[in-house]
Amino acid sequence: MRSLFEISKSGLRSAERSLSVTSNNIVNADTKGYSRQRIDKTPNGMKMTGYNTGLGVNISNVTRLRNEMNDVMLNEKRQNMSFMQSKARVFEQLEASMASDSGSDLDLSISNLLDTFSELSTDPQDISVRNSLISDARQLTTKFKDVSRNIDRTSDLILESSNSTINAINGLLGEIHSLNQTIAQADAAGAPDNTSLDLRVRKLEELSELTDYEISANDSNAVELRIGGVKVLDAEKADHLKAEINDVDKTYQIRLESGKTVEPQGGQLGAELEMYQTEIPALKDRLDELASTIVTEFNAIHSGGYGLNDSISRNFFNPTNTTADTISLNQVLVDDPTNIAASDTAGEAGNGETALQIAELRSQQLIGGRKLIDYSVDLITSAGNSLSSLNSQIEARDSEIQMLTTQQERESGVNIDEELSLMIQYQNAYQGAAKVMSAAQNMYDTLIGILR
Amino acid sequence: MRITQKTIFGNFMRDINKNRGEMAKIQSDLSSGKAVRVPSQDPVSFQRSRILTEDIRKEEQFQSNIESGLRQSRLAQDALDETIDRLIEIKEKVVQGASSSLGESNRASMADSISGIRDSLISTLNLSYGDRYLFAGTNSGEKPFELDGTAVGGVSNGSNNKSPKVQAGDGVNIDISVTGSEIRNTPAGDLFEVIGNIEQALRDNDVTALNNLLPDVDESIEHVTDVTSRLGNNINRMDFMFEQYEATRITKEADISRLVDTDYAEAFSDLQRIEVAYESAMAVHTTMFKNTLLDYL
Repeated sequence: MRSLFEISKSGLRSAERSLSVTSNNIVNADTKGYSRQRIDKTPNGMKMTGYNTGLGVNISNVTRLRNEMNDVMLNEKRQNMSFMQSKARVFEQLEASMASDSGSDLDLSISNLLDTFSELSTDPQDISVRNSLISDARQLTTKFKDVSRNIDRTSDLILESSNSTINAINGLLGEIHSLNQTIAQADAAGAPDNTSLDLRVRKLEELSELTDYEISANDSNAVELRIGGVKVLDAEKADHLKAEINDVDKTYQIRLESGKTVEPQGGQLGAELEMYQTEIPALKDRLDELASTIVTEFNAIHSGGYGLNDSISRNFFNPTNTTADTISLNQVLVDDPTNIAASDTAGEAGNGETALQIAELRSQQLIGGRKLIDYSVDLITSAGNSLSSLNSQIEARDSEIQMLTTQQERESGVNIDEELSLMIQYQNAYQGAAKVMSAAQNMYDTLIGILR
Repeated sequence: MRITQKTIFGNFMRDINKNRGEMAKIQSDLSSGKAVRVPSQDPVSFQRSRILTEDIRKEEQFQSNIESGLRQSRLAQDALDETIDRLIEIKEKVVQGASSSLGESNRASMADSISGIRDSLISTLNLSYGDRYLFAGTNSGEKPFELDGTAVGGVSNGSNNKSPKVQAGDGVNIDISVTGSEIRNTPAGDLFEVIGNIEQALRDNDVTALNNLLPDVDESIEHVTDVTSRLGNNINRMDFMFEQYEATRITKEADISRLVDTDYAEAFSDLQRIEVAYESAMAVHTTMFKNTLLDYL
C-alpha cells in the first residue's frame, strides 16, 4: 500500500514539473532564439512477488526541440541577406549624392557648359555670353567637387562603421566562447543546458548578420567557427580580429592576434570591405576619368584658339588639376572673360571657330567609346543600377529566409493554444494524483479504524 | 503542421508592410506625377530619359542659335535688298547718261548723285548687330567699308572672306551673312570700282564709256541678287530646321513622359487593388488573433 503514496507522489512531481516547463514555454513564446521544451517521461516499475507492477512515473529528460541543420542554413542566408542590405544602404547614399529627381546633376552641368560654348560660337563678341560661360564652368567644377566629396564622405563613414562591426564581432566571439564552455560542462554532466544552447543560437544569429562563417560542433557540443577558412573560435579560445587600414590605397586587412589574415566575404563586414576596397574606388575612378577627359579635351582645343584682345594661347582648365576633387578653371579667364578663346585666328572678333569645336565635343565619343553626357548619365545611374539589382535579390532572399524561419518555427516555436491545453492536462494530472493520495489516506484511515 | 502565434503574427506584419510599401510607392507616384525619380527605381528608363533630355537640351540650343542667326541674316537680307535697289538706281542713271540728248552739266550733277548713292551704299553695308558688323566676315570688330582714296574703287575692304555662321545641328553650320569681299567681287570687277568708273565717265562726259559700262552694271546687279538669294536659301534652311526641332521635341518629350511619368489610370487601379488587399489582411488577421483557447478557460 505504501506504493500508492510513491505513485501519487511521482505523479504530483511529474505534473508540477511538466506544468513548469509548459509555463516556461508560454512566457518565452516571443523570446528570440528560444526553443520549446518537452518533458520526457518513463514509467517506473518494480517486481513484486509473482508479478510486475508500476511504481509511478519518472522524468527522464527535458528535451529541447530544434532543428540545428535549419539554423545553419538560415544563418548562411542571413549573412548573405545582411551583406546585400549593407551594400544597398551604401549604394543608396551614393545614389543620392550623384542623382537627384530635380535633374540638376553632372550631366546637366556638362551640357550647360557645352550649350554656352555653342552660344559663344554664334556670338563670340558678346561679353555677357562669356560671363555666363565662366559661371557655367564654375558650376561644373563645383558639381565635380561636391560629388567627389560626397563619395569620400561615404567611404569615411564605412570605415567608421566597420570598426564598430569588428568590435561587435569580437564581443560576440567572446560570448559564444563562454557559452561553449557552459554547454560543454553541462553536457559532460549529462544534463544539457538548454538555456545556454538557446542563447548560443541567438548569438550565432547575431554573428551571421555581421560576417559569414562556417560552423562545426565537436563531441562535447562546443562549436568551432571559421571565417573564410581561418579558425577564429574553438573549444579552447576565441580569437580577436584587428583591422589594418590604409586609407590612401584603400586597402583593408583583418588580422588575428596570431597574424593570420581573415577575409570575410559576407555579412555586414564583408559588404563594408567590398564597398570600401572595390566599389567606391571604382566609382571614384570613373568620376576622375570624366574630369580628366574634360580637362584634356577642352584644353587641347582651347589652347589652339585666341581671346578677343591678344594672340596668347591659354588653357581653359588648370591643366595640373585633373581629378574631380581638384578640377578648376584657368584663373586668367575668370579674371577677364575676354581671354576665353572663341576664335581660331588671332584678331578676328567675330570668329567662333574654336568655341564651335569645343561645342562639337558634345557629339564626339571621347570616353570609352561614349559621349561625355552619355558617360556621365551612365555614371550617375551606376549606383542606382546596383541598388536596383540588389533590391530584387533582397526580395528573393527575404522570402527564402521567411520560408526557413517558418520551418524552424514549426519545429521550435511555441503554440500558446497547444501549451494551454497541455496546462489543463497537467492540472488534471495533478488533481488526479492528489486524489490517489487522498484515497490512499482514506485506506490507511480505514485500516487504523479497524484497530481501534 | 504546427502554426504558432509567432508565425501568424510574422506573416501578418510581412504582408502589411509589403502592402504599405506598395501604397507608399503609388502615393508618391501619384502626388509627384513621376514614377521614376531616382535611378534605382528603373535604371534603364532613368538613363534613357536623361539621354533624351540631353538631346532636347542640345536641340534647344541649336534652336536658340538659329533664332539669333535668323535675326542677323534677315537684317543682312534687308541691307542687300536695299543695295540692289541702289544699284538699279545707278543703272537708271547710266542708261539716262548714255543717251546723247543730255548735256555736260547734266552728267556732272548725275555724277554727284552717283557719289551720294555710293556713300549711302557704304553706310547700308556697314550694318551692325550689337558689336558685330554683319558684312565684315569674321573680322566683325571692324567696319568693313570705309572711304579711302588709295584703296580699290576708293573704298577700303575691312572684311575677310570667312562668313559668320551659327551651329544649327551636329556638324551643320549655316552662314548667316555674306562677306563684304564677296559682295564686292562681281564678275565685272570690284563693285565700287564699277561705280567709280561710272562716276568718272559721267564727269568726263564720255558717252561711249557709259555705254560700255552698262553690261558691268547689269552684271553687278545680278551678282548681288545671286548673293542675296543664297542668303535667302540659308534663311529658309534655318526656318525649316527650327520647325523640325520643334516637331521632334514634341515626340521626344512624349517619349520621356512615357519612360518616367506616372500612368495615372494604372496607378489608381493598382491603388484600389492594394487597398482591398490591405483591408482584407487587417480583417482576416484581427479575426485570427481573437481565436485563442484563453477565452474558453
